Amino acid sequence: MTRIRSGAGLAIAAILFAACSGSTATPAPASQAPASAAAPSGAAPSTAPSAAAGTPKDGGSLVVAIPGDISSTDSAFIQDSNSSTVSNQVIEGLVATKPGTTGEIVPALAKSWTVSPDGLTYTFTLQDGVKFHDGTDFNADAVCYNYNRWNNFTGALASPDYSYYYAAVFGGYGKDSNLASCTATSPTEVAIVLKHPYSSFLLSQTITSFGINSPTALKALDADNPDPTKSGYNTGAKGAMVGTGPFMFKEYTANDHITVVKNPNYWNKAGVAHLDTVIFKPISDQTATLNALQSGDIQLAMNLNPTDLSTVQADTKLQAIDRGESCNLFHLGMNETHKPFDNEKIREAVAYAINKQALIDTFYGGQAKAAITWMPAGGLYAKDEALPEYNVDKAKALIAESGVPADQLTFDFWYPSNVSRPYMPDPKGIFQAISSDLEAVGFTPNPQTKPWKEGYLKEEATGKYPMWLIGWTCDWAGPDNFLDTAFFNYQGGKPSPEFAYTNDALNKTMKDAEAATDDATAKTLWEKAQDMIRADMPTVPIVNSTPPAAAAAFVKGFVGSGNLTEILNSVWLDQ
Amino acid sequence: MATKAATPATVRVPVESRASRGLWRDALVRLRRNRPALVGLACIAIFVFVAFFAPWLAQYDPNKGGLGKTFEPPSAAHWAGLDKLGRDELTRVMYGARISLVVGVVSVTVGLTIGGLVGAIAGGVGGRIDTILMRITDVFLAIPGILLAIGIVAWLGQGLVQIMIAVAVANAPIFARILRGSLLSLREAEFVTAARSVGASRTRLLLRHMLPNALTALIVAATLALATAIIDVAGLGFLGLGPPDPRTAEWGTMLTDSTEALRRAPWLIFAPGIAIVISAIGFNLLGDGLRESLDPRLKR
Amino acid sequence: MIKYIVRRLLGAIPVLFGLSIILFAFIHLLPGDPAATILGQHARPELVDAMRHRLGLDLPLWQQYLNYVGDLLHGDLGRSFVNNRSVVDDFFVRFPGTVELTLAALAFAVGLGIPMGRWAARKPQSFSDGFITVVSLVGVSIPIFVLGLSLQYVFAVQLHILPASGRIDPRLQVPYTTNFLLIDTLLAGRPDAFVDSLRHLVLPAIALGSIPLAIITRITRASVLDVTHEDYVRTARAKGLTEKRVDGRHIMRNAWLPVVTVIGLQVGGLLAGAVITETVFAWNGVGKWVVEAIEAHDYFVIQSSILIFALIFLLVNLVVDIGYAFLNPRIRYS
Repeated sequence: MTRIRSGAGLAIAAILFAACSGSTATPAPASQAPASAAAPSGAAPSTAPSAAAGTPKDGGSLVVAIPGDISSTDSAFIQDSNSSTVSNQVIEGLVATKPGTTGEIVPALAKSWTVSPDGLTYTFTLQDGVKFHDGTDFNADAVCYNYNRWNNFTGALASPDYSYYYAAVFGGYGKDSNLASCTATSPTEVAIVLKHPYSSFLLSQTITSFGINSPTALKALDADNPDPTKSGYNTGAKGAMVGTGPFMFKEYTANDHITVVKNPNYWNKAGVAHLDTVIFKPISDQTATLNALQSGDIQLAMNLNPTDLSTVQADTKLQAIDRGESCNLFHLGMNETHKPFDNEKIREAVAYAINKQALIDTFYGGQAKAAITWMPAGGLYAKDEALPEYNVDKAKALIAESGVPADQLTFDFWYPSNVSRPYMPDPKGIFQAISSDLEAVGFTPNPQTKPWKEGYLKEEATGKYPMWLIGWTCDWAGPDNFLDTAFFNYQGGKPSPEFAYTNDALNKTMKDAEAATDDATAKTLWEKAQDMIRADMPTVPIVNSTPPAAAAAFVKGFVGSGNLTEILNSVWLDQ
Repeated sequence: MATKAATPATVRVPVESRASRGLWRDALVRLRRNRPALVGLACIAIFVFVAFFAPWLAQYDPNKGGLGKTFEPPSAAHWAGLDKLGRDELTRVMYGARISLVVGVVSVTVGLTIGGLVGAIAGGVGGRIDTILMRITDVFLAIPGILLAIGIVAWLGQGLVQIMIAVAVANAPIFARILRGSLLSLREAEFVTAARSVGASRTRLLLRHMLPNALTALIVAATLALATAIIDVAGLGFLGLGPPDPRTAEWGTMLTDSTEALRRAPWLIFAPGIAIVISAIGFNLLGDGLRESLDPRLKR
Repeated sequence: MIKYIVRRLLGAIPVLFGLSIILFAFIHLLPGDPAATILGQHARPELVDAMRHRLGLDLPLWQQYLNYVGDLLHGDLGRSFVNNRSVVDDFFVRFPGTVELTLAALAFAVGLGIPMGRWAARKPQSFSDGFITVVSLVGVSIPIFVLGLSLQYVFAVQLHILPASGRIDPRLQVPYTTNFLLIDTLLAGRPDAFVDSLRHLVLPAIALGSIPLAIITRITRASVLDVTHEDYVRTARAKGLTEKRVDGRHIMRNAWLPVVTVIGLQVGGLLAGAVITETVFAWNGVGKWVVEAIEAHDYFVIQSSILIFALIFLLVNLVVDIGYAFLNPRIRYS
């Protein structure tokens, strides 16, 4: 849910047939208290999943540090991880990912669903007797009210800066949209009809932007005001964020705190929250976050600097929390319109020049693995591309082969300031290490920086930077979300200016893969796509990280998830 | 910049009737007897010496490290330990002296030139020009210095040059104010009136008689400004507006980095921290000493 | 006196006017189109044009400036691009935090600085004098963020005796009414929360107050010493007055003036220092507000908050000057 760049074309479709093969689903509801949720596979032994022993106790307040203030309280407009962390506690969608996983779909507000054989009609059977936090009924009409609302967005609301994910998933609005209709066939049954089959449909509906809000509350706070900054529903006014989740929105004070309180009437009795109150506090500085955790100001930190992991582990009053398998990729961007990166040999040389293991040890506290392809190693259809390993001689040899003279090995190398991302905990440090690696083989990178929010993202997306640090945290765990949406998509028949990586055959292969109707074809095509990317080395994949969270030792029941969108209803305080 | 506001109030303008050369010579004599000022001078001498001879004094390359040696604690080989990238912290502090010296001196000189020019014109010419120039100065003085500097760096972009400009612009109005104040108070001084009575031209009066005397207050203010300039640059670094090349061995940036690593390697804060404090103390002591020597009425 | 105050108030008008021009120019010289910034990077050109029109950015510059000044005179400081909240409303949410912090810092600096300065002046060149001089020197020479982070580390993280950041423990859930938390907690009848917000004040106030503390100490010492050598003090001593009486009636009364001046001047420095202190301690005040606005390119907030900052600065200086005039009747209001 961490959108990190613009211009991601409307990459629709993906696969995950396993998850959405159309049969009636049976697993337990998403927000059920995962008393049985085992440690996510791949949990490092050093970090203990806190869903361990003990009988949950009810009551208490939890203060949670998030890396920055929220940007919206209207789930339809949410694109950043801070806002979605909060929204996920309050707003639920029809389906969800199972806590602790990034790709396993479980029922939420829909207790079951069927898919027509042509893959166009999704019929959802809704949970009975669910009420929104404002006391109004949740029913099929409410669901369609939401879907139609999104589909009818116009003006600023229809710009990617607001409802980005609706357009990204449905391809546009109104007649441009892939949504044919949403019909309430009975109070507890909804039929959502698509124009074209879209195999990733269910998985995409798990993200924050497709949460169902109370129609009454939306209308009351003017959520559809053409100027979204005038909508109280978007700006955190009293009465915003009315959903069905285990917590209810109480208040928002900008840059200070957001408070949610327990929903005692939560429809899923097994998922009723243990905590009375959860308060989210934005603290941007990682040292300050750790200080606040150790001094007891906060009890749970979502953004721990991995290099502080040893400090947390050494403190008996604290615990590090594993968040399961990685769902991100950090890579070194290169833009092919800038010299010398138009030369394939040079790009390959860069790949050999970087000492990934040293980066992992120094900046990730070991909480990362060298990337094997352009998506997380555990992602669906990820193929080990035998990427170049650190080899200075090989890098030098490739530079010599490239024929680029030494005086043309100079370029601007950009890194962002005022930011740390789950896949990039310390951009400044990583930048220095990579710069030194590059200098060691004969490059002359010229350091440049911009604050992340103040221009870095905008400028890198337009292709201004020859080389820069960038990455992606998954929205959903499919290859389309990385290879196409995030990276090498085409816009209007041209490669996105960000990487300026022209490869028409790759683009066609990815589109075919997204439209594939069976698992085997999709696998073949996505692996082929990765091979094609490997041959050109448009960027240098560096690591997939597993960013830890940290909490006071008495915080129990937190179930981490690689996509970093955890729900706190299972959390309780052992004190 | 936090101390800037104090400067004008505490600077007393010398009302000397003797020739300016005598004033300076006397001041030098008094300065030599001022122990704290000598200590300050010694601090600055060390600072400048290190800055000039860093390549000979340091045993290591400030930019070469090794990621395997991250955060090594202080040892016989590395007195101040190794930083996150395995670089010798002491070496970097020595090289950092160069940048701090350059940034401090350049920004204060630029600020002094702009502020001095404005102040001299305003105080020397007087009248409507004085009013206009001082109103403009007031506008800049009304914005807290660090905000002004942040705004300028945000506007011009990050870079050492931009930082120097920012600190210079933040200082210039203070200098203008001080010089003008001194000039105004000198107008009625005996030696000026005397020179005027023997028919000295207005320009001559300003350049030969008033300016040299008025400069004393400015020099004191500039010395003190050097101390704050070093701290301000560190503050900009803390707010993420430091030099764009993070490998630059600059004290403020190093200090900010070391605060980020406070939990892993608390010792890293000492070398740059002490360097900043010592150089700031040096300029503060010298500034105070100069003030006392230049104004014989202030006896401590 | 009233004439003097009026003249000083009138004198502030051209300054604010000049400031409004500079800030207006600054915003228009900043790279990037505010309309595009509001709508974000993906906005379609026609939407940007519509936004430019709504904001009046399609008008000639002089007309934009007049509109801007007109709005200012109506007390309308615009709205944030980021969250559409009124700048004036936000200011009143943030400002009390800064007032609490700066007053606490000032109280710390004055409360400790004056006794320290007097103590040091009692025996010049003694050990205690030297010690205080060194402490005050180090005080002005340490960057606020270094001191702040160190205080946090020692007192909050290691010793667990004070909170590390924020203005109050949010779990106490005190309703904000005036946004002066020390008042709000009392209004809510919550002595526990009052104590908690007081505890939150301690570390940031020390960090912010360190520079004024050093300066006030030095000035107090210097002016006490200055006065000590004056004839009337010697006369008083010669008359056989007790040391206590000399100190109270003769020395302090006359040493007071420069100290008061410097205290007043420190308020400006405190406002500037609040920018960094509030960032270190996650203190929800005006300083953090400005830094956030600059980071987010929130033009109107930058423009208006700097203007408000300047206004406060001018007002404080005015009050100091007037207070100075009261204390020193010899000053002619020229």
